[in-house]
Amino acid sequence: MKNIVELKKVSKVYQIGDNQFKALDDIDLCINQGEMVVILGPSGAGKSTLLNLIGGMDTPTYGEVIIDGENISKYNEDKLSDYRAENVGFIFQFYNILPSLTVKENVDIVKDIVKSPISTEEALKGVGLEEHSKKFPNQLSGGEQQRVSIARAIAKNPKLLLCDEPTGALDSKTGVEVLKLLRKQCDGNEGANTVIIVTHNSLIADIADTVIHVKNGKIEKVVTNEHPKKIDEVKW
Amino acid sequence: MKTLNKKIWRDIWQNKSQFISIFIMTLLGILAFSGIHGYMDGMEYSAMNYYDQYNLQDLWLTGENFSEDDLKEIKKIDNVKDAERKLSINTTLDGYHDISLETNFIESNNISKFYVVEGEGFDINQKGVWLDSYLANYLKIKVGDEISFTYKTYTIKEKVLGLVDVPDHVYYIKDDTAIFPTHKDYGFVYLSINEFPIENYHVFPYVMVDVDDTSILDETKLKIENNIKAAKAVTTREDNFSYKGYNSEIEEGDTYSGVFTFMFLFIAILAVVTTMYRFVRKQRTQIGTMKALGIKKRKIIIHYVSFGFWISLIASCFGIVIGLFTIGNFFLNMEMTYFVVPEYHIYVVPDVYVLAGLTVAIITIITYLSCRTVLREKAADAIRVEIPKVKQSKFDLTNKGIFKNASLSTKWNLRDIARNKGRTIMGAVGIIGCTMMLVCAFGMLDTMNSYIDWQFDTLYHFEYKLDLDDNLSKVQLEKLEEKYGDATSKTYGIEFMDGNTKKANTLTVNDSKDKLRYTGHDKNVMELKEGGIYITEKLSVTLNKNVGDEIKWHIFGEDTWYTSKIVGLNRDPQSQAFNTTRSYIESLNIEYEPDTIYTNNNLEGVKEVENISKIAGIESIKTGILNMINTVRMMVVLLIAISAVLGFVIIYNLGILSFAEKQYQFATLKVLGYKNKQIKKIFIKQNTWITIVSVIVGLPLGYLMVDYIFKSALGENYDFPAVVSLMTYVYATIGTFIVSFFVNRALARKVKNIDMVTSLKGNE
Repeated sequence: MKNIVELKKVSKVYQIGDNQFKALDDIDLCINQGEMVVILGPSGAGKSTLLNLIGGMDTPTYGEVIIDGENISKYNEDKLSDYRAENVGFIFQFYNILPSLTVKENVDIVKDIVKSPISTEEALKGVGLEEHSKKFPNQLSGGEQQRVSIARAIAKNPKLLLCDEPTGALDSKTGVEVLKLLRKQCDGNEGANTVIIVTHNSLIADIADTVIHVKNGKIEKVVTNEHPKKIDEVKW
Repeated sequence: MKTLNKKIWRDIWQNKSQFISIFIMTLLGILAFSGIHGYMDGMEYSAMNYYDQYNLQDLWLTGENFSEDDLKEIKKIDNVKDAERKLSINTTLDGYHDISLETNFIESNNISKFYVVEGEGFDINQKGVWLDSYLANYLKIKVGDEISFTYKTYTIKEKVLGLVDVPDHVYYIKDDTAIFPTHKDYGFVYLSINEFPIENYHVFPYVMVDVDDTSILDETKLKIENNIKAAKAVTTREDNFSYKGYNSEIEEGDTYSGVFTFMFLFIAILAVVTTMYRFVRKQRTQIGTMKALGIKKRKIIIHYVSFGFWISLIASCFGIVIGLFTIGNFFLNMEMTYFVVPEYHIYVVPDVYVLAGLTVAIITIITYLSCRTVLREKAADAIRVEIPKVKQSKFDLTNKGIFKNASLSTKWNLRDIARNKGRTIMGAVGIIGCTMMLVCAFGMLDTMNSYIDWQFDTLYHFEYKLDLDDNLSKVQLEKLEEKYGDATSKTYGIEFMDGNTKKANTLTVNDSKDKLRYTGHDKNVMELKEGGIYITEKLSVTLNKNVGDEIKWHIFGEDTWYTSKIVGLNRDPQSQAFNTTRSYIESLNIEYEPDTIYTNNNLEGVKEVENISKIAGIESIKTGILNMINTVRMMVVLLIAISAVLGFVIIYNLGILSFAEKQYQFATLKVLGYKNKQIKKIFIKQNTWITIVSVIVGLPLGYLMVDYIFKSALGENYDFPAVVSLMTYVYATIGTFIVSFFVNRALARKVKNIDMVTSLKGNE
């Protein structure tokens, strides 16, 4: 299987006053294309930092981040913007949708930056929000808002869908719905889409193809699920 | 509560741009008020002290000749403390080019006493002159130097005994065609009456009177009018040319002070309202935490109110001090190069402290009102992150008409404006203020230039104005008319009835054959009709008289009263008086004896002409007035500088507030793959719109401001309408956009520095 993400000796060091804090410490990692990967670990382990480096939101202090054969750690700001626009869909715990744009407009916004997006209608249909397209975010529930965020991400037709605690602010029932959408995204497009979920909820690990355990800025272990559970089989 | 005190200063530091803007706005408001008041009150109180100490006359008597007996009679009248006679003639200073001297011969100097700058005080037995210190300074004449000046065929040569200032010459100009003092080609000298060149020809046409009690001045004036036959006119300080001219200048300052203080403080208060409201909302969870910790509501209120209180208090204190020592001193020193008050300093009236206190109180109250709502919330609610209230308006413009197909960034910005009305209004008001002040600055120059064109190109249609000697014979007049033309006029000092009150003014009889012209309301040249008198428009409003009404008047020194019909209104920029034709005067059986000839003959370099007391060249008067415009230019520079600061602070403040609110949204866009340039474009769009709308509103308001300033600030004698040229509007628009451009550039830099990770985390 093709490596979509490859990290070589990656470190991320923050300077805090006179002290240095290593959020990631000399990591080597490979993620296969078409997999659903869960990065698991306690708070402060370095999960989000890892996700930010893969997503081109941040650059490593040392090492190389290679995405689909391109070393993005050498990219300048503009190139990173292009990389994010064309390759990465982000989903956050608190949705990060724009409150003064309607549901449709929140998805439409990617049209300005992506060369070949999928249609807004299709994206909204995919997440079951076609009926709510004219509503503003504050007229939606938390789960619906997260679905807008997913629609916006998948509208870009990204190679990588990066999710940072996507169910963290949702109740279990809504969380399950969101995870089903993410799985659907991963299973579609003939195995070309990769979904990476960062979470501290170990239950989510059961549905992943690969689980990466992170602790104290290092990869503790990488576990491959030969038989990932279906989402409905998981007891939340 | 020491910890909370530390929090105040740390919070201020963390939100420095907002607090700096509140500080600057308050500072500018108080600075303008204290500065303008400082110099204006400095002018007023310094002059009052000068008048008191050097005993400016309370009454001024004019006649043909006051004898010694008249003087004794005047002194006998109740409430008259002292009286002094004066003989004044116009002479020219020898050895210099075209310098005229008001030459006064006196017997004593207890009224309108000399302020001796150098040399000795007045002594009737001393042979010598006391010279105007400003002219002496300009001509570098010193005590002990000898000067000579000429009156007709008499040349007086005297040693300079002293350089002096005199309280009835605080404001004085070369002649009635000038409006601003220059102290370069005219001045005054005083001599003992014993030095008068014509022996036994002591004619005193003036008497200065000092009274004991000014509260019964009107009664004293009436007694003199009734008992002293030689007194043809008795006038008070209010009619005194110097006193009146100086006070007009102070009134002008009063208008500036009012207009600018109001503008700055209004904007400062708007800035405080929005900034404090947003600041407190940002601190909502901290307020909840303080409540949860058990800190009493009163202490939390005091804590938050302290922000507004301390910032405005410090700004006000700085504003008072800086205003006094910069604007106050600068303008006072500048004014005193024109007005002669020997000892002057800025002065602080209690009003300044009251206004500063009031500003601090208003800002403190506004701060309290801003945090009241949050303080009302329960601790449990306040510690939770507030859910943003995005109201979907029933009338959403962005889904209608041309906006339906607008870009997302346009829709987003429109909705943002609708949601943040307070911030938008504050920004708009700031930019409107900036535009208004730029229009005002350039408009003041336009108006002054328009006045010069009006006065010197339209009304004055001659090159030289020749003042004739008194009591010329017909033959002498004919000779002059033969040489210089027969375009003449005569100006009578008249007294007229306004209701039951007698008022002094002038009536100019025009026989100038189109050399001295008149203009109507729109400044177009008009002809005077026969059969009555003309009154200037502004005077007609003051007197509530119109065409068809009648005016009862008499010439000073004559007892015959005339009743004349007002046959028309004319408009004059610098003299509000009466005018008529020669034939009308002659129809009243008044003999027309001209006192002025207007000519286009070239008289350059001509100093003396027989039977002519003064030659005034229009070009030199015009130059004098152009010099005065330099003062206006200083004001313009100051206004432009303040406008730029005001505009920058307000637009920057607006931008910072808006940026802080949208930072996480911009971070989201960045994460999605938007480039910095695209985000900057979205961000700047809103500021640009607000700037465009504000400029459109600000331009006409700027005109109204110039109009108000010229209507209120000018003395009662002046009447220039505000004139704002097209170029001024262009400059004001460009100026505002330049400020907006620089602010946008500064703000756009912030977009580049958005750290996506931190911003998104911060939002959580």
